[in-house]
Amino acid sequence: MTTVELDAETLAKYPFLHETGDYIRRLQFDISELTKPENAKVVQRAKERVLEAIKKAKVSKETANIEIEILSFPLALVFVRAAGLEHLMSRYAFAEAMRVESFLEREKTSTVALIFYRVTGISPEFLYTKSFEFKIPVTEYLRRATYFHTPEWKLVNRIVDNGYVYVKKLELVRLTREEIKNLIHNRLHTLSSFKTPQEFQPIIEELVKSSPTPIDAGEEITVTPDKYPPCLVRALELLQTGQNVPHYGRFLMATFLLSIGKSVNDIVQLYPKVPDFNEKITRYQVEHIAGLRGGRTRYKVPSCRTLATHNFCFRTQACGTIINPLQFARQKPQEKKVKKKVARKDTSTS
Amino acid sequence: MQEKTLALLKNVFKNYYFKHSDKVEVPERIEEREFGYMPFGGGMIRHLAVKTAGELKAMLVKEAPYGVYASSSYYNDPGLPMAEKGWKGGDLVFDIDADDLNMPCKAEHDWWICKTCGNAEVGLRPQNCPSCSNIKIQTLNWACDKCLGASKNEVIKLQEILMRDFSMSEKEITIYFSGNKGYHMNVVSKAWYDMDQRARNEIADYVSGKGLRLETFGFSYNISYTDMLPRLPVIGEPSWRGRFAEFIRSYGDDRGSDSRIKAASIFSKTKPEEFQNVITSTAKQYGSKVDPSVTTDIHRIFRLAGSLHGDSGLSKRRCSNILSFNPMVDAVEIDDGEIEVFVKFCSKFSLKGNTFGPYIKQNVKLPLYAATYLMSKGLAEVSP
Repeated sequence: MTTVELDAETLAKYPFLHETGDYIRRLQFDISELTKPENAKVVQRAKERVLEAIKKAKVSKETANIEIEILSFPLALVFVRAAGLEHLMSRYAFAEAMRVESFLEREKTSTVALIFYRVTGISPEFLYTKSFEFKIPVTEYLRRATYFHTPEWKLVNRIVDNGYVYVKKLELVRLTREEIKNLIHNRLHTLSSFKTPQEFQPIIEELVKSSPTPIDAGEEITVTPDKYPPCLVRALELLQTGQNVPHYGRFLMATFLLSIGKSVNDIVQLYPKVPDFNEKITRYQVEHIAGLRGGRTRYKVPSCRTLATHNFCFRTQACGTIINPLQFARQKPQEKKVKKKVARKDTSTS
Repeated sequence: MQEKTLALLKNVFKNYYFKHSDKVEVPERIEEREFGYMPFGGGMIRHLAVKTAGELKAMLVKEAPYGVYASSSYYNDPGLPMAEKGWKGGDLVFDIDADDLNMPCKAEHDWWICKTCGNAEVGLRPQNCPSCSNIKIQTLNWACDKCLGASKNEVIKLQEILMRDFSMSEKEITIYFSGNKGYHMNVVSKAWYDMDQRARNEIADYVSGKGLRLETFGFSYNISYTDMLPRLPVIGEPSWRGRFAEFIRSYGDDRGSDSRIKAASIFSKTKPEEFQNVITSTAKQYGSKVDPSVTTDIHRIFRLAGSLHGDSGLSKRRCSNILSFNPMVDAVEIDDGEIEVFVKFCSKFSLKGNTFGPYIKQNVKLPLYAATYLMSKGLAEVSP
């Protein structure tokens, strides 16, 4: 893709591009100057960017003052880095990427292709068909799209031809968003730490205070058998009737039950009816999964997508939009709420 | 298996590795691969680092293993525990096993044995043993010519998808007979080398057509017939859309009509859950039934080409021409010398063009390769 000069307006929309650095250098601007009263608006906008990320999960599309918009982005990065909260870094990266997505959605295909190229180094090829604007190498598609959970992103539901995957303009925008999120997140991690001016400390403290406490993903949850997901129920049924449980069924059972606080003993005791049961081997395998043997890695519960690949997904309507069997128990109360709402509505109209 | 039989089998394997070490394919970048082997008598020894071809061949002669394996992945230090090896990348691998194809002939040649009362019969595994009602039942899966032919068909479909859709070249793809009941395919290519487990998962689903949805083919219950028609696939389109159009063309009796009109007509006349079956049938006919756990598991060790399979005594052989490859002839590497064995039971089978069996509880004089085949499957013992 040929080199294109980007104007300040474009940089205000896409301030993560490397040209932003050149722009700031041309202004002969230094971070220490930001503490001066004449730059209060830049500081204000930087703080606002982070607060918007915290409160709305999306940074607004403010472009009234191009210079403020460009300068406030690197300063916002400094604030987030100084706050030192991992979940804030993720949230901010996501919110900035959402902002970029809303700009890109309105851009011409050539601009979308250019920004994608700038962030990935891959030139999408133009297709000029009614249904698809671009094609990208299948390997590059896989590097990115496998993180999306909706079925239309599954490779099997794409047109794959001669080493390329066809994508629509808005899909390329979505892929770009993901790339930008990762780019900003990485930049936050690699940002060299320096002494943040004392004047910014109150802002950083305010951002830390406003940032919600993250959910502990590794937290042990209590799940009663009536809230087990259908895949686990199926695995247990097979076990209890002495039928062979496929490898992924066994893996799911061990990881799931360990995650909800069951002991290795509890799990081993479920197996005796299996045709090939060998207590020593079963115990070793469960201990391995629990991280007590071998590489000492505690294995996570496989995702619904992985279970589907291995023919061990028995999704029902009750699964809703979960992407991991562990979420099944957590989402049930929400379902009940929805049902109650519908019931109330029905009563009022009768 | 009796000690005497075990010792004989180990000796047969040792002779093979001693005389035919040239038939063992030494993997490229040997020093970056993890090796492992299963000794006769059980267990698995993994996380071995082998530096040279000579070292590998010496190990094979010395250990004469039941099975020997090398990783499809490359590591910084393959001899370390898994978490410390340092994964660098790996070949893309596929496994097609006749057992997974659930061929109708399975009922004619598979056996089951009750672990409690010893009752053994031909046929598919029952839920409970009809003699003692126990549920601990072992199955013995057999692969006949039909099963192996069907596996070969899956290989051909897989190769076609990889070449046409993924643009892999014939040079990058190597096909092997697995040494027992199926085929392996290795793709050695820089383009695919660093694909992670998620990506390999997607590739496995793609080639088998798993997860195909109505919308991919333009079907919808929320739009009119007229709006839907132009969205449906036509013959010649790439990927699964094209394959679906092909499937629809040959669906039912009316083979001449426009694939879009025909597809729309089937869609409108069929219940949603039944129409999903049409899609599943397309996947079955055009997709390849690969074992997803093999493709996705980047830490797996894979049977070494040219080595003997402990469950059959056949070798894992490279198929330079898959169409003409005959596993029951081309993968037989054991000598012809005659030996008497006691056969517990076995269906009719054919090796090196000779047909043997069926046998039930009898002493039989067999060529060593045929006796090895039965002993490896646990169906025969060295005669007393």
